[in-house]
Amino acid sequence: MTDSVSPIVLIVEDETDVADTYARWLQDYDVRTVETGEEALKQLDERVDVVLLDRMLPGISGAEVLDEIRSRGIDCRVAMVTAVDPDFDVIEMGFDEYVTKPPDREQLRETVQRLLHRATLDDNLQQYYSLVARKATLETEFSEDHLEANEEYADLLERIETSRATVDDAIGDMDSDSDFIGAVREIMDEDESGFTNTEG
Amino acid sequence: MYNLAEGLPIETVTEIQPGTSLLIAGPAMSGKPDLALDLLAPGLDGGNGLLLVTTNETATAYLDRLERRVTELDQNRVGIVDCSGSSQQGASPNLAIQRVSSPGDLTGISIGTAKLMKQFTHKDITSVRHGLISISTLLQYLDLHTVFKFLHIYTTRITDTQGMGLFTIDDDSHDPQTINTLSNEFDGIVELRETETGEREIRLRGLADASNTWEPFNSET
Repeated sequence: MTDSVSPIVLIVEDETDVADTYARWLQDYDVRTVETGEEALKQLDERVDVVLLDRMLPGISGAEVLDEIRSRGIDCRVAMVTAVDPDFDVIEMGFDEYVTKPPDREQLRETVQRLLHRATLDDNLQQYYSLVARKATLETEFSEDHLEANEEYADLLERIETSRATVDDAIGDMDSDSDFIGAVREIMDEDESGFTNTEG
Repeated sequence: MYNLAEGLPIETVTEIQPGTSLLIAGPAMSGKPDLALDLLAPGLDGGNGLLLVTTNETATAYLDRLERRVTELDQNRVGIVDCSGSSQQGASPNLAIQRVSSPGDLTGISIGTAKLMKQFTHKDITSVRHGLISISTLLQYLDLHTVFKFLHIYTTRITDTQGMGLFTIDDDSHDPQTINTLSNEFDGIVELRETETGEREIRLRGLADASNTWEPFNSET
């Protein structure tokens, strides 16, 4: 979860100069770097917000690290950094995003930002839902004339608009397949994780 | 613009703006899937893609119903996400089908639709009509708040890709509060009802040019 302190980004990359470059680009975050999947699993806890996982690691693979993160139930977003354009397979495996290697500064920063944003989506949507449900209750109970004069209703409409803008900010670009699937996965995780297909 | 041909018996509304999603609400057995297909099928003659998410009938069943509505069905323009649980083989080699094991697996549904959208893009089909039949099945598997969030994401996707969406719901299977809450996520609502004498009626709310009054409705397909 995101605290008031800097979000934590864990970089898993065996080439140290590459890892150092990423760390420099992301220096406004609390960055941790490790060289192998085994070390990544040792470092991982609830405080980590984003993991950048290289596809080709010595020892255990990125996919295995991802499985372990999910099975431990750690609520963080994981992006795969890969030299081959992975298309859907990586998203189907359960990665939240992928970055094509070598990424440039802006690309990497944008990806991390997008994933941090997406982490707020479920809470924002939950709040938006509560407001809309409340509005629906009033509309079910009262006539239109009554509602027009109702202060709570007017206030509610305003709050719904603000809340919706916050949601649309967190939701990302729905023209993008990975953002779309990522957003849906985000709302499923807490309630129905049992249903989510992890077979690939 | 998405032309509706004669699908909607409301003279004032003959086409739909890109990015629009409509909810079709009515009691069980009032012909909601038929109406949805009547509004989706004109796109197939007009060069649009059709992406259907079906929760309780098989892809093949829908293929038959679509064929009855167009002069010649170009299966290249049809993609179906089938969550009905059928493992039916040999539907048709040309038809793009993605199977999802349960209507409760929204992640699977989103991956399936994204794959089919990608196939459309490769074929240079950029205008896509989406159908989801039906929301009521999703509500049997998932909480209202989860379905609400999913519909928010899916209708935003339709807006961002300049598509058009039709979603059906049985309004006699859920309380008015549920219908009201979900209605909020749509640009307009097509309501169906049956009068005491057994006549069917239709009303369109929410869109500009919508008459907002009940009119007779006879679907002959």
